[in-house]
Amino acid sequence: MSIDIQNISKRFGPFVALDNINLSLPTGELTALLGPSGCGKTTLLRIIAGMESADQGQVLFSGNDATHLHTRDRQVGFVFQHYALFRHMTVFENVAFGLRVKPRKERPSDAEIRQKVTHLLQLVQLDWLADRYPSQLSGGQRQRIALARALAVEPKVLLLDEPFGALDTKVRKELRRWLRHLHDEVHITSVFVTHDQEEALEVADRVVVLNKGKIEQIGTPDEVYSHPATPFVYQFLGNVNVFHSRIHGSWAEIAKQEHQGEAVAFVRPHDIEITRDAGQGALQGTVRFVHPIGPVVRVELAHQSETIEVELSRERQQQLDLRVGEVTYFRPRQVQVFEDVQDFVI
Amino acid sequence: MQPKKSARSTQEPRWLRYSLIGIALAFLLSFLFLPLVFVFVQALAKGVDTYLDALKEPDAWSAIRLTLITAAIAVPFNLVFGVAASWAIARFEFKGKAFLVSLIDLPFAVSPVICGLIYILLFGSHGWIGPWLQDHDIKIVFAIPGIVLATVFVTFPFVARELIPLMQAQGKDEEEAAISLGASGFQTFWRVTLPNVKWGLIYGVILCNARAMGEFGAVSVVSGHIRGETNTMPLHIEILYNEYQQAAAFAVASLLALLALVTLVLKSVVEWRLRKELAAQDELPPDGLPATPRTAHA
Repeated sequence: MSIDIQNISKRFGPFVALDNINLSLPTGELTALLGPSGCGKTTLLRIIAGMESADQGQVLFSGNDATHLHTRDRQVGFVFQHYALFRHMTVFENVAFGLRVKPRKERPSDAEIRQKVTHLLQLVQLDWLADRYPSQLSGGQRQRIALARALAVEPKVLLLDEPFGALDTKVRKELRRWLRHLHDEVHITSVFVTHDQEEALEVADRVVVLNKGKIEQIGTPDEVYSHPATPFVYQFLGNVNVFHSRIHGSWAEIAKQEHQGEAVAFVRPHDIEITRDAGQGALQGTVRFVHPIGPVVRVELAHQSETIEVELSRERQQQLDLRVGEVTYFRPRQVQVFEDVQDFVI
Repeated sequence: MQPKKSARSTQEPRWLRYSLIGIALAFLLSFLFLPLVFVFVQALAKGVDTYLDALKEPDAWSAIRLTLITAAIAVPFNLVFGVAASWAIARFEFKGKAFLVSLIDLPFAVSPVICGLIYILLFGSHGWIGPWLQDHDIKIVFAIPGIVLATVFVTFPFVARELIPLMQAQGKDEEEAAISLGASGFQTFWRVTLPNVKWGLIYGVILCNARAMGEFGAVSVVSGHIRGETNTMPLHIEILYNEYQQAAAFAVASLLALLALVTLVLKSVVEWRLRKELAAQDELPPDGLPATPRTAHA
């Protein structure tokens, strides 16, 4: 089922949570709503689910107006950040809940329920936990049960609100890979909310970057990372060096444009090359710090009054053998320039 | 030298700990436990036969019956009200919410005698609607309805006070999950909300019941003290005592004391369950072992 969001706005008192959002989510895709906290992403998800009502605008499911449809009639599966499992029910009963509350005519028989729940628990690889209570499970297990419970009613849309937010890094990484595989298997239109750019880039088919209630960019993970449409997206997706009013010389050459007025150049730390000798267009910098961090080495260079962050591979650092205090040369490989940038903070 | 001593370095010296515990125990013993024992001793002072006769006496029996009837009406009423009010307060944002919360606390803040007087002023023969009631031959004050009303008023906060913090702590995620799974409002309430607050609810009901049966002040004002008709157990005890019927007074009092003991035991059991429930809703370490139940106070 496709979802169309048209001119949705929502305020909470004086706070504008969503400002005239337009978005369409095609059938079968896994979309990430990405943004910092307070950007309105969860509100948007809850409006799609019908748990929050918009001040204006429409939500269409498969082209039909669903704006005033009650949550229980929307056929959405919702997965909460803190799982929201029914604490007094066993895992089995949790998953069976959606089937047991169906009207008598549609309700499957006990045998059918048993079969279906067992199948779902196998799908999330937790069938051996059927008789446990939620309090006896770990966080990762709980979230998988929550997912199985949402899938039990065969929803047309799966909505996940920061599904991995409460888990530790290792489990989170496992689970998001697992979610990606699951989505490839069941192919249900899915939307998940996250503030973690790595998560969005890794899991989603498409990423919607939100900031202050507005959409900054919509695109595939590669598009939003490689071609950020706005300074905000550039800064939000990964580390970046920001240069104010320095768009001339080698920078302009690389950016392939000359700028007169106020402009800001953005360069990713791994898009800067460090050399020993002053080639054409290279700038001079003094090495301030050298931090090896896992597979990369982070180098801080002092160039005039600015600090420039550079990421090198370990091999490159072994070749260069940079030492603190040394004078070296650097040259950006890729620069993106935005004009008339207002002051912005993340 | 290191671990054992450093573990104790945050504790008070031994003599201080023991003297504090000693003072607390001595206080509890002399002010709470001894009087309770005294009630039973006095009740049985003139033998078991006198004790049983005092309870079988028609006026005493009528007082017991009236007390049970009052509790049987007031407790269910406040159960329904308490659930409705806490549901509204914990789940919805509306204007005047703070006012409603303070209003629920009003019976705690106001002296019970005032509660009784309010009903006299409202329904008494010189009250606002008293004459109208008299014309239609409806008796409220100095009759059972008045006693029930006063009891309901005084026991108003018990269930709601217990449920509101519990429901607020649990949040509405589970209910929203139930609704998104297709459950109706009633199914959500019956299958999710109610089981989640079950122990808190029972706890509130126990306290509410204990107070409903033991209430003296408010009931005393509206009852009119008609023997065998509008006397509840606490009122009956007072009358017996004023008439120097020590043994009989203490015999009826022993029933109330017994009620208190039963309440105490039930309360402890329920508190224990409630604590387990609260511990269960605590976050677990992400992929670790289930958390150990915290040693919460209730």
